[in-house]
Amino acid sequence: MEKPFILHMLTTAKNLSPFDVNMALDAGWVSALPYTNVEPSEIQGLVQDAIFSRSPKNLKRTGIFIGGRDTKQAMDMLNIAKRSMFAPFEVSVFADPSGAFTTAAGMVAAVERELMAKFNTTLEGKNILVLGGTGPVGQVVAVIAAQDGAKVKLIGRQLDKAQAIADMCNNEFGEGKITIEAGADADKAEYIKTADVVFATGAAGIELLSAELIASAPQLKVAADANAVPPAGIAGVDAFHNGTAIEGSKSGAVGLGAMAIGNIKFQTQVLLLKKMINSDKPVYLHFEHAFETAREYIKSSS
Amino acid sequence: MAKRSILHMLDPMPNNSPFDINMALDAGFDVLIPYNNVKLDSVYGLTQDATFSRSPSGVKRTGIFIGGRDLGLAMDMLKTSKQAMVPPFDVSVFADPSGAFTTAAALVTCAEKELKAKHRKELKDCSVVIFGGTGPVGIATGIIASLAGADVTITDHLSVDTALDVAKAYNRRFNCTLKGALANSDADKARLVAHTDIIFCTAKAGIQVLNAGVLKEAAQLKVAGDVNAVPPFGIEGVKNDDCGEPLIHATNAQGAIGIGALAIGNVKFQLQHELLKAMLGPEQPLFIDFRFAFNKAREMQFGPGVN
Repeated sequence: MEKPFILHMLTTAKNLSPFDVNMALDAGWVSALPYTNVEPSEIQGLVQDAIFSRSPKNLKRTGIFIGGRDTKQAMDMLNIAKRSMFAPFEVSVFADPSGAFTTAAGMVAAVERELMAKFNTTLEGKNILVLGGTGPVGQVVAVIAAQDGAKVKLIGRQLDKAQAIADMCNNEFGEGKITIEAGADADKAEYIKTADVVFATGAAGIELLSAELIASAPQLKVAADANAVPPAGIAGVDAFHNGTAIEGSKSGAVGLGAMAIGNIKFQTQVLLLKKMINSDKPVYLHFEHAFETAREYIKSSS
Repeated sequence: MAKRSILHMLDPMPNNSPFDINMALDAGFDVLIPYNNVKLDSVYGLTQDATFSRSPSGVKRTGIFIGGRDLGLAMDMLKTSKQAMVPPFDVSVFADPSGAFTTAAALVTCAEKELKAKHRKELKDCSVVIFGGTGPVGIATGIIASLAGADVTITDHLSVDTALDVAKAYNRRFNCTLKGALANSDADKARLVAHTDIIFCTAKAGIQVLNAGVLKEAAQLKVAGDVNAVPPFGIEGVKNDDCGEPLIHATNAQGAIGIGALAIGNVKFQLQHELLKAMLGPEQPLFIDFRFAFNKAREMQFGPGVN
């Protein structure tokens, strides 16, 4: 009899996200077991317990998912997990804290699609604003866009906090190869004058970009909003907008709402969870792989 | 539709061990449910909730696993769980904190096998020294070997009081006759190995406890077993998959042999697998503790009639 697919789901929080549990079981994992309040120092022990109890053949049917809320901590845990294993006692590991890696990947890939479809251009060299950018999704959106060649400004209400997060993104996620700048939310009327793309990744139910500011943006092309709870994070972009022209935009900008982004996020997460199952060699998946996968999904579905 | 088999996994720690989870699913349990931070006084209620919610046929497809790191607590939980059951609402319960019961059973029976084959001796004729003897695997190994009739000394690497206290506590509890000693310096270790027949090394992974110089002092050593699978191994010269290979550094002990962590680990793995399977088998309800694990390990090593 074939052994079951087992996903060990680790989180630093006191519960797993039911979102991730549903996704994992629907993607084909037969058993999904929770490990909660996990400290990074416990990762090595947990990983080694998981790998030494199955044969290399059945380790292909074993995986580790890393959740939680903190992006840097999740990346650290992914790296510790990877370092705790050695061939042939290895399993695939996928980090997606708060779903931020797949959400950010879906958002940036959707924006890229609209830039190409409506404006025949790419993210390379574009001015990007990430509003409400200090949270998990905003951080990762900033990193992915910067890695794709965009000039990114990560915006927060407090400039010093935004600066600290931008530095962390540059050094930790970008390995010093990207330069995300920080900006204050109070100055966004100034920033919007040169913005090509705006991402709204703030808390649900808070308007981050007003109709007035949309109207004052001379070169805005795409505005993407991760917020599904009214009022919209970007005025004029509703949750179902999927490349729809934004009313009041003088530059002909199009909007991407939370449902359109959510669909790509969902598909991306499913594909990554399946990749863990189907890959012959262990894979270690994070935001970069999420972005690759979101792009592939968009390509295959267009 | 046949009812799915359910294993309720009770653990005093914040999380279960992924090792046990893989093992339980691979042994055929359909659904595993973790219960974490479980206190002894909740075991009675949890057991009754688990047994009274299924029909007698469903009860046969239900089990309880007790993990954690503390042997005494796990044994108390096993006992409490057993007391909570009312036939025919009784399910199998398996305690294996830190995997210590199955690891210890595997370690002792591997040594017993080599002892019989290479030295024609029984455990009851032998003295045993356990290095790393105050951890879960060391204690379980000590209790099993002592109850099998061996003269057992458990050692602690930092404190003789710890070793003596642990020995006393478990002697009272399980009616065994453990002695305690300090094994801090090479001189301590040399003194301990000089007149012992069997060495078990159950210390922390990745630490060499006995070097060639210490092993040279062994005059009547017959078998040395090491459960540390992470280099450097616990006993110099004993390799991971050794199973009866000559102990090259014990130059003054004729015919001494070594058993490595993978050889022991394979037996432990098979043993835990069989015990988990037995929880769903025809013999249930089973109450599986270290004694049960040891007897099962002996049957697996020496054939069904051995006990």
